[in-house]
Amino acid sequence: MNVARKICIINQNNITRQVYRTFRLSSVKRESTQASQTQIQEEKFEFEDVKIYERAERRKAQISPFMKDVFLSVFNRDLLAFPEIINKEEFEDLERRLKFLDSMFNDREKTKEDRINALKSTKMFAAPVPLTRNGLAINKTEGLRYLETIANDLDLGQIISDHWIGLEALKAGLTEEQYAAVVDDLTTGIWRISGEKVCKHTSGYLLVLCAVEASRLKAFLVHPKVEGVSSDGKFVKFFNTPATPLDNVKESHLAQILGISRLHAATLCRCSLKNAIHTVVDYVKPRSMAGKPLSELSTIRAAIGDALLDLYASESAEYFTAGLIDGYMEPDAELEMAMCRNFMASHGLSSVLKLLSIPALDKELECKRQFDDMRHLASRGETLDSVNMFIALNGIHHAGKLMAQEIKQIRNPLFNPTFIIRKIFENRHQEKDAPKLTLYLAEHLHPTLKQPAEQLEYCVLRMKFACETLMARHGIHVSEAYTELERLAEAATEILVMTSVLSRASRAYCIGLRNAEVEMKLAACFVERTKDRVKKLILEIDDGEFLNLDHFRCNFGKKILDTNTVLVEKPTARTFW
Amino acid sequence: MAARFIRHILRNNSPNILLKRWSSTEKGVTVFDPFAITPKKDKKTYLEAVKMFEGRDTRRRGHVEFIYAALARMKEFGVEKDLEVYKALVEVLPKGKFIPTNIFQAEFMHYPKQQQCAVDLLEQMEDNKVMPDTEMEQMLLNIFGKRGIPLRKFWRMMYWMPKFRNLSPWYLPDELPNDVLELAKLAVARITSVDPVMKIDVWQTEEVEASLDKTWIVSAQSPIQKVLLSEQPPEDPLVVKGPFQVYLREQIVSYFLLLGKTRPEPKDETDVDDVSNLKKPPGIPGYMGTTKAVAVKSTVHEQDDGTIVAICATGTSSRDSLLSWIRLLEKYGNPVLTNIPVIFTLIAPPSDVSIQEIQPAIHKDAKNAESN
Repeated sequence: MNVARKICIINQNNITRQVYRTFRLSSVKRESTQASQTQIQEEKFEFEDVKIYERAERRKAQISPFMKDVFLSVFNRDLLAFPEIINKEEFEDLERRLKFLDSMFNDREKTKEDRINALKSTKMFAAPVPLTRNGLAINKTEGLRYLETIANDLDLGQIISDHWIGLEALKAGLTEEQYAAVVDDLTTGIWRISGEKVCKHTSGYLLVLCAVEASRLKAFLVHPKVEGVSSDGKFVKFFNTPATPLDNVKESHLAQILGISRLHAATLCRCSLKNAIHTVVDYVKPRSMAGKPLSELSTIRAAIGDALLDLYASESAEYFTAGLIDGYMEPDAELEMAMCRNFMASHGLSSVLKLLSIPALDKELECKRQFDDMRHLASRGETLDSVNMFIALNGIHHAGKLMAQEIKQIRNPLFNPTFIIRKIFENRHQEKDAPKLTLYLAEHLHPTLKQPAEQLEYCVLRMKFACETLMARHGIHVSEAYTELERLAEAATEILVMTSVLSRASRAYCIGLRNAEVEMKLAACFVERTKDRVKKLILEIDDGEFLNLDHFRCNFGKKILDTNTVLVEKPTARTFW
Repeated sequence: MAARFIRHILRNNSPNILLKRWSSTEKGVTVFDPFAITPKKDKKTYLEAVKMFEGRDTRRRGHVEFIYAALARMKEFGVEKDLEVYKALVEVLPKGKFIPTNIFQAEFMHYPKQQQCAVDLLEQMEDNKVMPDTEMEQMLLNIFGKRGIPLRKFWRMMYWMPKFRNLSPWYLPDELPNDVLELAKLAVARITSVDPVMKIDVWQTEEVEASLDKTWIVSAQSPIQKVLLSEQPPEDPLVVKGPFQVYLREQIVSYFLLLGKTRPEPKDETDVDDVSNLKKPPGIPGYMGTTKAVAVKSTVHEQDDGTIVAICATGTSSRDSLLSWIRLLEKYGNPVLTNIPVIFTLIAPPSDVSIQEIQPAIHKDAKNAESN
């Protein structure tokens, strides 16, 4: 994902329309400075030689998409066992690299140069590349762990995230030979020749997404230093630029690969929130107010506690999603990735705002910077609304396929009298907002989590009813009922997060991790709090536009859009004296 | 005999016999009408006349007749919308005398003629949409007491008038402009408010060389209408229809429409009940979708009798000015008008400076040149 949406014009081959967006790979530039080289040599971290064998495939058989099924109130209970992806050797290897990276990224003394060198020496730039090409062949779970550490430097975090996704796209899109030619240049080639490479923002390889032939999308790789590329601030302009098309990848596959950027965005947001927590703790600890330590103020404690809940929830959801992708063949987890992003972007932003209001007066600049970071990450590339629409429309598309017959009957009640009577009878619990709990999720979790599990179950069971209500109400035009779809998307997002939180806490408690009892409490609290939200959202869907006030909100908006005034008179205005 | 007697009773005891008490003033005092002799008719002289009446006689004889006469003359002096004038008239009524002092007086309409007079005054205010104020209430209270009919009338007015005052969704300033051009702009803006992106231009017919009628044209056309116009089939003529009238309070503005053909209704065969294959977005992060223009199908401009592609009001409403309008539309972004024939079907021939239809002005110019 890139910092800015760039709209540029390309007149080349069959690219006729605007380019909607570019993906920047971290560029590679040769720069050999003797001084820095000597400095780095001491810290150099040597790892194993080039591998001959590829990483073993341990993924399980394909499963049906998890969250899409939840829209139908179908829940894959196996997933309540939190995915465990990494084996012992891989874990040790991971820890070794992380320890080194950690020492670099957590030390404020280190410069950007040092950090980039550390990334190079740990082969981070080649991380998703296959072992046989001198990469690390990391999976998504490992990727998240690395990214978390690297994200202590948010700039580098974003660069490396873009870089990895770009590499994945290239792997899928280029032919073997093309890939081979490019990949060395991007990851190891220059390294071998000059022993030095530096990331820069403005030049280098660019992955450009274009619309070709009216509505089809295609990605193109633009090589560095080709003609026709000019940059203006954050915008890169292309004119008559030669580019290599990524022919081998289909649009849907490309969407899945690029969708990983959403998962990364969630991780980066979470790291930003974590930094905010640290800032607040540093500020609060030494201070006191009215003869009491500031840290005894319950509002401050609550704010930090809230932030921790969000942090924990988001972390669980991210690793859960990464586990889904790594654990099963041909995973369909684009919905889950989008949900992770949206959960963290929306909750994180409000959480950070609340946290940073604590030291806001004293540390204004610092707070401003941190909040700006968070805001930037949360709205990087796309908005909450567009992602929500993506989630809801995909979910309802999936549900629509399977419920089409039923919806047709509901919408034509006089043709199907017996069906309607049966339906009324079947839905009697749902209408009372008390569905029968038939999924027995508690059986797959630690017994202490029985109550939260039932709350999750309630939420899951309400989803089908919500989808049914929406489709029965709008028919095929459901894809334009945006305000209601937004609620559906938010409800589904919360369900994913609740699921991951419960399964993680249950796993932690069962295997006896340190502080597992805290995790249990966090999970129970989170589910308790979130269930009410989901309940409200779905009730609002059920209520319809007049009771949930959508109709009125939309009308106010429409009037303002038409007139561009605030409509109302000032409170001092009069009609007579 | 008996029948004649009964008929006589019936004739004389008509049901409105009670009203007769104050309905006729024929046998009353003949009032000196100060308004008739005033040389200049404006607010100042009107108020002077009222003052004159007040100062003439301490008992103010004939004040009811005076007020009725004054009310009837308001339009003449152009003060029928002025609250101050109405207050001056209420002020004419004596204070205290008409306040009932016991329940019988209160119940059976004390001084009915005077009360009715005040009610009529208020009624005229209401008809002219003049909102009374709290000072007026105080005055009425001092004259008729809190149980007076005029007070009740006043209170009802104060309940309803503020509610009706801003009921129209099209806001107009309290005082309408006197300039006809400004008025036309307001009128066209009101008609075209259905489309928020509407663009209103003011052109002068001088821009068109062949024009005879030198006047202004207020023309409104939205970008959507431009597209609709450009998509008109060139063989079917466009039609200029009008004049239609729009009211801005009491003022009337005539306007004209340029009508094209309405496109056939888009056929939508999709089954709205079939949700088996709903649309879904491609899901590429940051991809917003194509930036196609807004679909122009079934816009508000497409009505049953045709597609309204432009609207105008001109200074003279003459055919020649409308011809200039078409030429100006062509000049400003509607080149398609060069090829499409335009028919003028004006409902009533407007008071025209008279130019034959399609008669090219150049021809006439040439004639003029000859005669010169």
